Amino acid sequence: MTHLVLDQVSVHYDGQPAPAVERVSIDIAKDDFVVLVGRSGCGKTSLLNVAAGLVQPVRGRATIGGRPITAPGSDRAVVFQNDALFPWLTARENVAFALRLRGVGAAERARTADDLLALVKLDGAGDKRIWELSGGMRQRVGLARALAAEPQFLLLDEPLGALDALTRERMQTTLLDLWTASQVGVLMVTHGIDEALVLATRIIVLAPGPGRVVRSFEAGFSRRYAAGEAIRSIKADPAFAAARGELTDAIFEGEAA
Amino acid sequence: MTVTSYTERPRRSKVDDGADALSVPWSRPLPRRSRVSARVVSAITILMVLAVWTVSARLQLVSPVFLPSPVAVWNKFVVVARDGFVDAKLLQHIAASLWRVFAALIVAIVVGVPIGLAIGVSTIGRGLFDPLLEFLRPIPPLAYLPLIIIWFGIGEPSKILVIAVAMLAPVALSTASGVRGVSQERINAARSLGATQRQVIRHVTLPSALPSILTGLRIALGAGWSTLVAAELVAATRGLGFMIQSAAQFLVTDVVVMGILVIAAIAFVLEFIIRRIERVLVPWAGRE
Repeated sequence: MTHLVLDQVSVHYDGQPAPAVERVSIDIAKDDFVVLVGRSGCGKTSLLNVAAGLVQPVRGRATIGGRPITAPGSDRAVVFQNDALFPWLTARENVAFALRLRGVGAAERARTADDLLALVKLDGAGDKRIWELSGGMRQRVGLARALAAEPQFLLLDEPLGALDALTRERMQTTLLDLWTASQVGVLMVTHGIDEALVLATRIIVLAPGPGRVVRSFEAGFSRRYAAGEAIRSIKADPAFAAARGELTDAIFEGEAA
Repeated sequence: MTVTSYTERPRRSKVDDGADALSVPWSRPLPRRSRVSARVVSAITILMVLAVWTVSARLQLVSPVFLPSPVAVWNKFVVVARDGFVDAKLLQHIAASLWRVFAALIVAIVVGVPIGLAIGVSTIGRGLFDPLLEFLRPIPPLAYLPLIIIWFGIGEPSKILVIAVAMLAPVALSTASGVRGVSQERINAARSLGATQRQVIRHVTLPSALPSILTGLRIALGAGWSTLVAAELVAATRGLGFMIQSAAQFLVTDVVVMGILVIAAIAFVLEFIIRRIERVLVPWAGRE
């Protein structure tokens, strides 16, 4: 099985006195949903950008299926916090963008795009312009667009960060549905503790100054959702509350209360 | 450098990224009331100018040689439209000028947009073209007109070139500023979807810069019309600028005034058309 591997990766931006990330190793399998959490400045986004090929590490190696990652590629589609959609295209054309780059014919493009829009529960919104969509709908389009590239891994950089709490919860189940349906490995950055617990199979807690891993949790809640249990009953489980306490402690470890 | 001064539209900054873009203040139309009253004031202003003009012409405060009455100008308009002036009808003068301005605009687009793209995308491009444009930009057309005539003769190409040179800087600099303003996230998203550098430019950079390019075209058209008279100074037989100059030489002031008003009207109509084109081509501008 293909793995996305960060091996002893350090990131040091030009002109910065200290490295942003030091010696972080993450191994993501194709059925993993790995979530990076941590306080601001802990290098979450830097690590995601290394995996995306947008940032080159100064030390260590990033590989996908054993091949080194040197540039962005459609095997690792990124979804950003600000949707980064193209406002001159309709929702359908946005989703079909990756297919168009590959020279897929117009009819097939539209068919695939509509299928993907249905998958993110945006049936019938294909002809809408981007500015006519709400924040949540835009992120759905962004997800569908990333999936259209047929990636092996999805890299999500706080994709739900700009959404209101209710939309956010609905999007979390959409993300889980996509993850179970599409067989892609996910690496996601978030600030939300509950979000991390609901979505992740593994939670990696990072601490700043320089960014490093302090804890790594195996979390089983998303597998339970995949097995058919309702989100509400998962969240009501005392084990969920206990895990939340443990995770919160890990994030704020060493910080004056 | 003064590149940014060509972008009129407020660029969305990171701080303003609300969850709901429709609530961004400038995406809302202005309150209807204030827009109407501004129009009323404009109409009153125009009527006032016409009134002062009519009264001072009627009372002969100024000799008709210097200031013909509005009625005289209107009559002249009808006469020139029907019978022509200096061997061409008004429509032929207008056509000649429009052709020069638009030919120049096309030259400016064909040359200026790629230059702007090069300035915005690559450091080498910026080093190469920025000093040339900064050199060219402040020189008045009348100053380089003689040189162009020496180099390219007194034919039609010289006239178009004079106008095109004046249009080049606004087109190129607006393109460059639009290209530099493209959101990095958008480019990163496209690259992670498998776009090559070339595809990023074609599918992301250019469309993103289009609002700014269109603003540049609007500024360029303005510059073009103001250069028209200079371009038609030498060896023209038709054109609004030529018509005005010929009239001035014989002190036919009513034709001069009429020509000025015709140019103003055409510029107004073109501005209106370009705004329409903007609404069709870049409806997302300002409300992304």
